[in-house]
Amino acid sequence: MARNSSLGGNSFCGRTRREFLWQSGGGFGAMALANLLDKDGFGSESSKPTTFENPLAAKVPMFAPKAKSVIFLFMYGGPSHIDTFDYKPAMIGMDNKTVEVKTFGRGGHKNQGRIVEPRWKFSQYGECGKWVSDLFPNVAQHVDDIAFLHSMTADSPIHGSAMLMMNSGKILSGSPSMGSWINYGLGSENENLPGYVVMLDPSGGPISGAKNWSSGYMPASYAGTVLRSKGAPILDLATPSGVSRELQRTLIDGINQANQNHAWSRLSNSDLAARIASYELAFQMQSSAPEAVDLGQETAATLSLYGADSPKTEDFGKRCILARRLVERGVRFIQLYSGGAHNDANWDAHGDLEKNHNLHAGATDKPIAGLLKDLKQRGLLDSTLVIWGGEFGRQPTAEYANGSGRDHNAYGFTMWMAGGGIRGGTSTGTTDELGGQAVEKPMHVKNLHATVLHQMGLDPNRLSYFYSGLEQKLVGVEHILPIHEIVS
Amino acid sequence: MIRFVRLPYLLSLTLLAANPLALMLLLLAFFGSLNSLLADQATKSAVPPTQAAEPIDFNRQVRPILAKHCYACHGPDDTESGLNLTTFESATAECDSGSKAIVPNRSTDSELLARITSSDESDRMPPEGSRLSTSQIEILKTWIEQGAEFNQHWSFQPRKQVDVPEVADPSWCNNPIDRFILSKLEARDLTPAGQADKRTLIRRVYYDVLGIPPTIEEVLAFESDAKKDAYVRMVDRLLCDPRMGERWGRHWLDVVRYAETNSFERDGLKPNAWKYRDWVIRSINSDKPYDQFVTEQLAGDELDEVTIDTLTATGFYRLGIWDDEPADPLQARFDEFDDLVTVAGQGFLGLTLNCARCHDHKIDPIPQKDYYAMVAFFRDVTSYASRSDGASNNQIDVSDPSVREERARLKSEVAKLDKTMREIEQSAIVKMSAEEQRATEGPGRKRVLKEKLQVFLSDGEFATYQKWKNEREKIAKSMDSLPNQEFVLGLAKCEPTPPSTFVLVRGSPQAEGDQVAPSYVAMTQGDTSKRTEVPAFVRNSKNRLHTDAPVVGRRRALAQWITADDNWFTARTIANRLWQNHFGRGIFRSTNNLGQLGDTPTHPELLDWLANQLVEEDWSMKSIHRLILLSKAYQMSSQTTSETVLQDPANDLFSRFSMRRLSAEELRDSVLATSGDLHFQQGGKSFFPKVADEVKATQSQPGSGWGDSSESDRARRSVYIHIKRSLVPPELSVFDFPDTDTTCEARFLTTQAGQALGLLNGLFVQDQATRFSNRVLSMASSERDDQVRVAVELAYSRAATADDQKFAKHLMERFGKEHDLDATQQLRAYCLVLLNTNEFLYLD
Repeated sequence: MARNSSLGGNSFCGRTRREFLWQSGGGFGAMALANLLDKDGFGSESSKPTTFENPLAAKVPMFAPKAKSVIFLFMYGGPSHIDTFDYKPAMIGMDNKTVEVKTFGRGGHKNQGRIVEPRWKFSQYGECGKWVSDLFPNVAQHVDDIAFLHSMTADSPIHGSAMLMMNSGKILSGSPSMGSWINYGLGSENENLPGYVVMLDPSGGPISGAKNWSSGYMPASYAGTVLRSKGAPILDLATPSGVSRELQRTLIDGINQANQNHAWSRLSNSDLAARIASYELAFQMQSSAPEAVDLGQETAATLSLYGADSPKTEDFGKRCILARRLVERGVRFIQLYSGGAHNDANWDAHGDLEKNHNLHAGATDKPIAGLLKDLKQRGLLDSTLVIWGGEFGRQPTAEYANGSGRDHNAYGFTMWMAGGGIRGGTSTGTTDELGGQAVEKPMHVKNLHATVLHQMGLDPNRLSYFYSGLEQKLVGVEHILPIHEIVS
Repeated sequence: MIRFVRLPYLLSLTLLAANPLALMLLLLAFFGSLNSLLADQATKSAVPPTQAAEPIDFNRQVRPILAKHCYACHGPDDTESGLNLTTFESATAECDSGSKAIVPNRSTDSELLARITSSDESDRMPPEGSRLSTSQIEILKTWIEQGAEFNQHWSFQPRKQVDVPEVADPSWCNNPIDRFILSKLEARDLTPAGQADKRTLIRRVYYDVLGIPPTIEEVLAFESDAKKDAYVRMVDRLLCDPRMGERWGRHWLDVVRYAETNSFERDGLKPNAWKYRDWVIRSINSDKPYDQFVTEQLAGDELDEVTIDTLTATGFYRLGIWDDEPADPLQARFDEFDDLVTVAGQGFLGLTLNCARCHDHKIDPIPQKDYYAMVAFFRDVTSYASRSDGASNNQIDVSDPSVREERARLKSEVAKLDKTMREIEQSAIVKMSAEEQRATEGPGRKRVLKEKLQVFLSDGEFATYQKWKNEREKIAKSMDSLPNQEFVLGLAKCEPTPPSTFVLVRGSPQAEGDQVAPSYVAMTQGDTSKRTEVPAFVRNSKNRLHTDAPVVGRRRALAQWITADDNWFTARTIANRLWQNHFGRGIFRSTNNLGQLGDTPTHPELLDWLANQLVEEDWSMKSIHRLILLSKAYQMSSQTTSETVLQDPANDLFSRFSMRRLSAEELRDSVLATSGDLHFQQGGKSFFPKVADEVKATQSQPGSGWGDSSESDRARRSVYIHIKRSLVPPELSVFDFPDTDTTCEARFLTTQAGQALGLLNGLFVQDQATRFSNRVLSMASSERDDQVRVAVELAYSRAATADDQKFAKHLMERFGKEHDLDATQQLRAYCLVLLNTNEFLYLD
C-alpha cells in the first residue's frame, strides 16, 4: 500500500472517519476500527479526513495535472525523422554523395557515408507553417496542435536496449515502464479496466516482448495489460466454451460463499476480503472490457475518420478508436505499437526505405489524424497527451553500398506530442543540416519522460519507489527537467 | 516519496458496499496495514527534535547530515584540516587549527557549530552548496549538547553474545526462540495465541518445508498419532525429504535472480542454467553448510578441491541479464560487475553496496572506494559471452579430459577454417545488392551464399573455398564421433591477470579516478585505518581437474571474509532469511538491506542469537530450520483474540502465526497434487508449461524460445519451469513470481482480478479441474455425498463436514437447475470452485 504525504491531504474516497464507521455497519469490525483509529492518533473527536487510500483507486496527483491520460503511439523500429517531420532542404540534390558524418547504429561507428536524400517531398502546413513530408499528409493537418521535438537523443542505437530506454528510462531490463510509474503514481480511474493498456501490432510483439511493459521491481499489478481488438480482449477474460456468463456468475457466487464462510472465523486477515472483492472485479471486467472494445457502438463516420473502413488503415485505425474509448473510460496509459516482429514488419528500414516507410506511414497516417481530430471534437484532447515516435531515428546515410536503407540513429531524432497541455504549432530543438545529430537544445529520453509525468501532475524528480537501497525514479538519480518550451 | 509496503492489495470499496462482511474485513485490513505503515514512515524520515529532552538518534538523524554535507572532505577518505567526523575520537580531537570541532555537551565551544552557523561566507561550512537548514543545525546542536555519541547502527557492530531472556511463563517455551518471543509479549501484557490444531500444523509444516500439501492419509495418521513426539518425528522426517530442496531452493533462486535466458532482443538461452538450480536443490537437501554454500558459488573454481559440483556453483556468476549487443561495451562491462556487486552485496551480506557506485553511500558507511574495492574482487570474472562466441566464457566442459583435449584441438582447426572461409564469403558479399547483403546478416545467409557465392567469386577462389569446405566437413564428422560432451554453466574462463580497478567518477567508466585494490567493505565505520587487508591470494591450488587456467584467488579471499564466523553481516542475513521464509516476514523486514535504510529488527536479540546459533552449528541451516519448526512460536494458531489484534495489528510481536497465501509455485503444485497429476521427478532440464497463443503473441517471434514438453513433464513441480525472462507464464507472474532481472528479498503479495480470471478460465486450471473431477469419479461411488467427501479430502486434506455437504448440494443443484449441467459437469464445476477457494489458497 503506497502512501504519499506529499500528494496532499487525500481523503479516503472523500469520506471522514465518522462516515466510515457509520458505513461499516457496527459490530466487531466497527469497534475494532474505532480502537485502531484512536491508537493511530486519529483522536476520537477528530473529524479530519483520514489520510490514506486504496492503492488501486485513483490517487490525487502531486499538483494540478494538465493531462489525465496518455496515448503513446510507438513507432517501433525507428522511423526516419528526416523523411517525416525534420525537414532538411540542404540535402536536396545530395543523393549518393559521400560525406563526412559520424554515425552509430547496428553497423557500428562510422565517420563517413553515402547520403540518401529524403525520399518524400515536404510541404508547409497550418498556421505555424510546419514542413511535413508526403508520408503524413493527414497528420500534417494537425500541426498547429503538435509540439515537435527535433533534438531527441537516446543512450543506445540498438533495438533491444533502446526499446527498454524509451519504455523504462534504462538500457537494462528490470525497471518499471513509464505506464507502470503512472499507474503507481496515479492509480486507475476506472477499476473495471486495467490502468495501463498495451495494444500490439498484428504482425507480433516488439522485440523483448513483455519486458517493454514490465513493472520491473514493482508489483506485477502495475504492469501493462495486453488488450486485443480481436477475440477476448484480455487474457482469460473469456469464459471457456460451454460456460455462459450466468454460469460464471454462479461459480463466483459459490466461490464467494465458500470464502465468506472461511473468512468468518478469520477476522484479522485482510487478504481474504480482498480476494472476495477480486472475483467481483473480475466479473465486472468481463463485461466492461468487451464493452470498451465494442466498435459496434461507433458510427460509420467515426470508423471512416480513423480509416477503419479501409484495409490499409483498418488495423491501426481500429486500435486508435479503442485508444479513444479507453481514454473516455478513464484508462491512464495506453500504448499502441505500429509495427511488430522483425525487419520490415516494423519501421526498421534497413533495406528499402521507401517500401518500408510507405507501408507503415500509410497504415498509420489517417488513423493518427483521425484520433487527433476526434479527441479534439469530443473535448478530450486537452486532457489527453498523445505521444508519437520510435525508440530512435535513422541515419542520413545509406547502410549498404546500394539501396536506400538507413541504419539506426540515437544521436538525434524526432518525436512529437499533442494535447494534454502541450503547446501546439511549436518545434523545439534541431539536428544538424543532415539530421545526423542533435545540435540545438539536445533533449534526452529522460526529458520526454519528465514531461509526461509533469503533464500528468507528477513531479518526475519526486515520484520515487524505494528499491535496492535507493529511491528509484523513472528519470534516474539526476535532477531532470521537463521540456518547458512545449508546456503551455 | 512513495514507499511500497508489501501488503495485500485492497480492491474497490464500491464493489463491496453490498457485502457488509467483506467491507468490514476490508476496513480492518486497511487499519491494520496503516499501523505498520505509520511506524515504518516514522523510522524512515529524519525527524527534527521537537523538544530538547528528546534524545537524538545518531544513526537516524545525525549521520545522514554528516554523510551528505561533511564526509566528502572530513570523512573516511579525506581529513582536511586534520578533521575526521566519522568517529567520536577523531571528531572530538584537536584539529590542525588547534580548535575542536566537537566538544561533547558544549555546543557553544564546538567549532563545528560555529562554522555551520557562521554568517561569514568564507568561514561557513559546508563551503559549497546551500547552508544547512535550521532543523539540521538544531539536530546537530542538540546532539552535541546530549554528549555527541557516535552510537553505531545495530548491524555495523559485531554480533552480541545474547542471554536468553527470563520469562514469567517458562512452561510455554519449547526452546530459547520462545523466550525471546514471549518476553516481548509479556512486556506488553499480551498472551500468545494458542496452539494450532494438528491438521493446521501438518499443513503448515508440509507447505513450509516441502511446498506441497499433505495427503489426507498423512493428515489422518498425524492426527491419530497420540505419542508426545508425533510432531517432532514429523518435522524430522520432512527435514530429510528430498522435496525440501525444491521448496527452499526456490527461495534462494529468488535472491540470485535465477533465470535461464539473457533478456534483451534475442533473450537467448543460458545452456545448463538448470544445473545450477539442481546444485542449489541438492545443497539444501544435503544440508551443505551455508559457509560452504556461499564459498562454492563465489569461488568454486578456486578451491583446493575443485569438483564438477563446485564448478556448477559458479553458475551464480552467469545468471544475470546480458546484452549481446551493447551500445557501449565498456559501460556494459561495468553493468555486469554492478550486477554481481548488487547481488553478492544484498544476497550474502544484506548490504546495498550498489548505492555507492556513483558516489559515497549517502547513509551507510560505505565509501565509493569500497564499492570499487568490491568490484576488484570480481575483476577476473569474464563477461558472460560475446556475440560471436556465446559459450566459451560460460560453458565449462566437464567431460573426460582426454576427450576434451581432442575436441579442443579439432575445434580450433574448425575455427581457423571458418575464419578463412568467412573472409572469402565477405569478399563476395560486399559485391552483392543491399537486400542480399542484409539477408546475409540473418538466417538467409545460407540461402544467399548457396545461390550467389559462386557468381561473385573467381573460379580459383571458388575452388579454394570448396576445398576448405570439404576439409571442414571431415573434421566436423570426426568431432561427432567423439563421446558426448558434458557442460555446466559457470566460470569457464577467467582473466588470469585481472586488469587494475579504479574508482569511476560518478560511475562513468570513462572517468577513472584512484586505483583500488580488492578490500573488504563497510566494517570500518569510515575509519580507513581499520580497513582489513586482503590476505595473500591463493595461487596454484591443486586438484584443478576441470580447468587449467591459473587461479587468481581473489574471489576465494572474498568468500573467506564473507563466511568468516565473525563477519557481522553474513550470519545475520541468512538467519533472517530463514526466519522470513518460515514466518512470512524477517525479524527485520528488509532482508536484503540491514543497513540504515533498512527496517529495524523487531527482535534484535533473537536475530543475533539465531545467527550465533547458526555459526555454532557449523552453519547447518537444517539445525536452524529444526529449531524454528519445533518452537512454540511456530506452532501458534493464526487465530487470536481481538484484543491481541488491536494491540499488535501488524504482528510485530509474533503474538500469533500469520496466515499466508500460497506462492505461485505452491499453488500450481497444489492443484496438480489435488488432481493427482503431480509428478515428483527430481532435477534435470526445465520443462515448458502450455502457454496460451495470446501470450506467445506478445513475442516478436511468437513461440520463439518456448519449447514443447511431454504431458508428464508438464506435471512436474513448478521449480522446474523454464524461466524465460521475456515470457514468464501467467500462472506464475500473476501470483507474484519475482522479477527475473533483479534480486528479490521478499515476494509481493498482491490480490488482483487477473488472478481470479486465471483461476476461473485459464488453460491450466480448466484442464486440471477436469482431471480433478475425473479422479473423484474414480475414487468415489456415484453418490454425490461420497463424491463431495472425496473432493474435499483431496482439495483440503481434511474430512468433509455437514456444512461442506450442504454447500456442495446447494451449489451443484444450482448448476443443474439453472445451467443444465449434467451430474459429471456439476461435479467438475464444483471441483473448479474448490480450487478457487481461500481455504485452498491460504494457510492458517
